[in-house]
Amino acid sequence: MNIRHNAELRQKLSSEYVLGTLKGGARRRFEGWLHDDAALRRITAEWQQRLAPMAEFSTPVAPRKQVWRNIERGLKLRPAPAAWQFWLRESLTFWRSLGIASTALATLLLVVMMSNTLAPPVISDVAMLSDGKTGTALLLTADRGHGTLEVRVIAAAPVASDKSLQLWAVPKSGNPRSLGVLADNGRATLALNQRAIGADVSLLAVSLEPRGGSLDPNGPSGPILYTGNWVKL
Amino acid sequence: MSIAPNPQQLTTWLIAAGKRDASAFRSLYDATSSKLFGFALRILHKQELAEEALQEGYVAIWNNAVNYQAHLAAPMTWMATIVRNKAFDVLRRSDDTVEIDADHFDSEVMHALQDPQATPIESLQMSGDAKALAYCMTALEGMHRQVVALAYYHDMSHSEVAQQMSLPIGTVKTWIRRSLERLRACMMKREQT
Repeated sequence: MNIRHNAELRQKLSSEYVLGTLKGGARRRFEGWLHDDAALRRITAEWQQRLAPMAEFSTPVAPRKQVWRNIERGLKLRPAPAAWQFWLRESLTFWRSLGIASTALATLLLVVMMSNTLAPPVISDVAMLSDGKTGTALLLTADRGHGTLEVRVIAAAPVASDKSLQLWAVPKSGNPRSLGVLADNGRATLALNQRAIGADVSLLAVSLEPRGGSLDPNGPSGPILYTGNWVKL
Repeated sequence: MSIAPNPQQLTTWLIAAGKRDASAFRSLYDATSSKLFGFALRILHKQELAEEALQEGYVAIWNNAVNYQAHLAAPMTWMATIVRNKAFDVLRRSDDTVEIDADHFDSEVMHALQDPQATPIESLQMSGDAKALAYCMTALEGMHRQVVALAYYHDMSHSEVAQQMSLPIGTVKTWIRRSLERLRACMMKREQT
């Protein structure tokens, strides 16, 4: 059957296709015509446009939150965080560690202020890095005047001989920046610059890496052991 | 009470979802899911079945958003068509028989359809397209409107509608054909003014 020149029939079939009353063989035949007839597709689209608003004749009802969670999970819309974005995965642990860090800060400030009076370098900023459980593991002191950054171990776990600790500044966006690899005794004197103490630095972190440091230029390759943040004195 | 979402905004989100923008997709869901869930409930009546249809519908919306053509369909039209098809899939899969009630539109819309003076269609929370259709449906006879609604919401054939309404099949065919012709004429006239 040729329906190309029968305008009335084209309207009737398109409308009943959209409404749903065109069924079975007639429906399949119509879909075949749709396939090679752009004008018929347009007529059908117009009918969709006319009749589909019947969907809006119902009172809106909010679906349960579970529905979105299922959609999100089914489509894997939340990308797994990159290895160094540990605080996304373990946000609770992370915030707890900040809590511990700030409690310990009072003690530290006293130490730093005392050392300030003794030593000529002027410490402008400090950071205490901890694993969130056992208090401060590493102490960072910055001297903005001299542009130096000192790293000292307070109570870090021993590091195997084929491993190194590496210090990172994690910016608010973008990849973590390596500040340097610590010596075996856990000490390091590094240059202090915007990479380490710029306004965009949101976190300092120490990771356990193969000896010599992470092979991944974009961030840590091993686990994050300690985290902390700068405090300006 | 939410305001009918702006179609242009929906189009922007839908196109962004086609480019794998998950947050645009979330915004699209937030703006449209209540309407489409209400629609799925209308077809399926049972909460779990309607949730299943909605879930599958949005998965299909995400997967097909890249094929969405704004010049062929308004975003709500396109999404409602997908959800309707999923609802019918769910219906065919489930063992439940869905109750078919006489009142095919929610009371608010029904009142507006029956007595546009008492409940102005303009006051309903619907898109402009839906208001145009509601307005034109008021011009149909009640029984004709019911026949169209049975077919649309319950995926019924002419003979199923005839059985449901205890009418001869020829009558149903004629009513549906005439109703659709009238709707088209009415809506084209409204578009021109």
